[in-house]
Amino acid sequence: MKTQETKAKKILLVEDEKHLAKGLKFNLEREGYEVSLAEDGVTALQRLNEIDFDLLILDLMLPKMGGLEVARKIRDTHARFPILILTAKSTESDRELGLETGADDYLTKPFHLPELLLRVKGILRRWEWYKTPLHDQEVFRFGKMWINFATGKAKGASGELLLTNKEALIMKLLISKKGEAVSRDELLEKVWGYEPGTETRTVDNFIARLRKYFEKKPQKPERIVTVREKGYQFNP
Amino acid sequence: MSKLRTLFHPIIIFIGVQVAWIILMGVWIYWYLKNSQNFDDLAKRFNPGFLTDDFNWIILLEGCFLMLVILAGVYLIFVYWNKQARLNQLQSNFVSSVSHELKSPLASIQLYLETLKYQEVSQKETRDFVETMLVDTERLSGLIDNIMEASKSDPKSMQFQFEPVEVKPFLQEIMAHFGRQFEDRGFKVKLDVEENPVLQMDKKSMRMVFNNLVGNALRYSPPGSRLDVQIRRKKKYCDIVFSDAGMGLDKKDLKKIFRKFYRVQNYETQNIEGAGIGLYISREIVKNHKGKIQVGSPGVGKGCDFTVSLPLNLENKKSVKSLVTQLFS
Repeated sequence: MKTQETKAKKILLVEDEKHLAKGLKFNLEREGYEVSLAEDGVTALQRLNEIDFDLLILDLMLPKMGGLEVARKIRDTHARFPILILTAKSTESDRELGLETGADDYLTKPFHLPELLLRVKGILRRWEWYKTPLHDQEVFRFGKMWINFATGKAKGASGELLLTNKEALIMKLLISKKGEAVSRDELLEKVWGYEPGTETRTVDNFIARLRKYFEKKPQKPERIVTVREKGYQFNP
Repeated sequence: MSKLRTLFHPIIIFIGVQVAWIILMGVWIYWYLKNSQNFDDLAKRFNPGFLTDDFNWIILLEGCFLMLVILAGVYLIFVYWNKQARLNQLQSNFVSSVSHELKSPLASIQLYLETLKYQEVSQKETRDFVETMLVDTERLSGLIDNIMEASKSDPKSMQFQFEPVEVKPFLQEIMAHFGRQFEDRGFKVKLDVEENPVLQMDKKSMRMVFNNLVGNALRYSPPGSRLDVQIRRKKKYCDIVFSDAGMGLDKKDLKKIFRKFYRVQNYETQNIEGAGIGLYISREIVKNHKGKIQVGSPGVGKGCDFTVSLPLNLENKKSVKSLVTQLFS
C-alpha cells in the first residue's frame, strides 16, 4: 500500500470507541490521508464548519448527537458532501435508513481493513471527479433545458425538477463525455462505486428515468441514446 | 392497513370481549326479568307447581357466577399473554443490542490484527496494539460472562463459592483494572474507606457486580467526570456506595432499571451501548449474598449513587450452611 495523492486528503473520523478510532487513524494516516478525530456528533459538526474536509467517516452510536442526525444536518446544507457510515448496526433496515439519510456508503463492523481503505479511496475519487467543474460553470444548458449540478435542479422536457445524487452524477458523466459512448461498467464504477448488489440493469433503469426527464419522446430518445454493445451516449 | 392492525390489537380485542360479555349478561337478565312473569303464567297453566320462585333465582345467580368466573379467566389469560409478549419484545431487543455490543471490541481486535497483517508496524507500535487488543478481549469476555449469567432461567441456580474477602483491597484491585479507561475519559476517582470488613462473598460474581457499576458510571457520565466509592458500616451491613456525576435517573426509572433487559429510553441514552442486563444480574448476585442493591438520584442530569449493602455477619450462617451441604452431598 502506498500513497499516490500529491495533496493529502482530509478525513474527519467520528468515532467514540477509543481503540477503534486510534487504529483507524493509524491506518488512514499510513495511506497518506490527514485525519482529524471527533468523539461526538456535536464536535463533528463544529469541525466540519471550521475546516474543509474531503470525507466524513461516521459512526452511528455517538454521544450527544447520533450519527444519523449528524448526516441529516450535513445534508441540509451540503447536498453532496461524501459520508461513509461505519457502524455495528447491521440489519437491512439500519442500512437502508443510513443510505436514505444520504450516506454515500455503508460499512458494518467488524469490517475488513483493505475493504474499508478501498471504499474510502472510491468515494474520494468520485468526489474529486464530481468537484471538477464542467466548462467552468455549474449550469449546463442544452436546447431549452438545463441542469444545475451544484443544486441538483434541472429543467426537463416538461418543466423543472430536482435530480437525485445518482441521477446528477450519471448526467454529469454523460455530459462530460458528450458525443462518445460511456460503458455501463464505467457508469457503475463512477456512480455506484463499490456499493454491493448493483447490476448493469440498475444503470438501465436510471437511464430510462432520465429519458423521461429530458426526452420529448422517451421511447425514441434523441439526447440520451443507446450505442449497441458500448453503452450510452449524450448528444447535446 | 394500520387501522386494521389497531383493530386486532390484543387490548382492543380484550375490551371488545369484555363488553360483549357484559352486554350479553345485561340482555339476558333484562330478558329474564321481563319474561319471567309470562313463563310463570305459562308454567302454571300447563303444570302448576312445576316452577318455584326460589329455583329461578338460583339459576340466575348461578349464571351470573359462572359468567364472572369466565370473565376472570379471560382477564388472567390476557394478563399472562401480555407479560409474555412484553418479554418476547424485550428478548429480541436484547439479542440485537448484545450482538451490537459484542461487535465493537471484535471490530477493534480485527482492525489491529489486520493492521499487523497489512501494514509495516514498528516493534513499539506492535506492543501498543497487542495491549489494546488484550483490553478488548477482556471486555469481550466480561460481556460474555454477563450474558451467560443473564440467560440462566433461574437466578437461584447460580453457583457460588463463598470465601472471606477483605473489601478494601478487593475494590482497589477492581478500580485499578479500570485505570486505563479512567485515564482515557479523564475521570477523577476517589476511594473513601471508613470501614474495612472481611465479608463472605463469591469473588467472581461480586467482581461482576462492581465491574457493572463502575462500567455504568463510565458509560453514563461525560468525560472529565468523577466517581466516588465509599465503604462504610451501617448497622449489620457494610455499604459500598458508588456515586457518579453522570446522567442521573428519573424517579420513575429508579426501580425499573433493575429489571431484566430494561433500558432507560431517552435522547441521551439512545446512542449508548447496553443490553439492559448488568443491573439485573448485579441485583440477583447481591440477593444471593443476602444483601441489597439500591439506587438514588436527585434527578436527570444530576448523577446517581448505587449502594450495595452486604451483611456483616454472613460468615457464621454461611459456614453452617456449607457444612450442611457438605454433609448431604
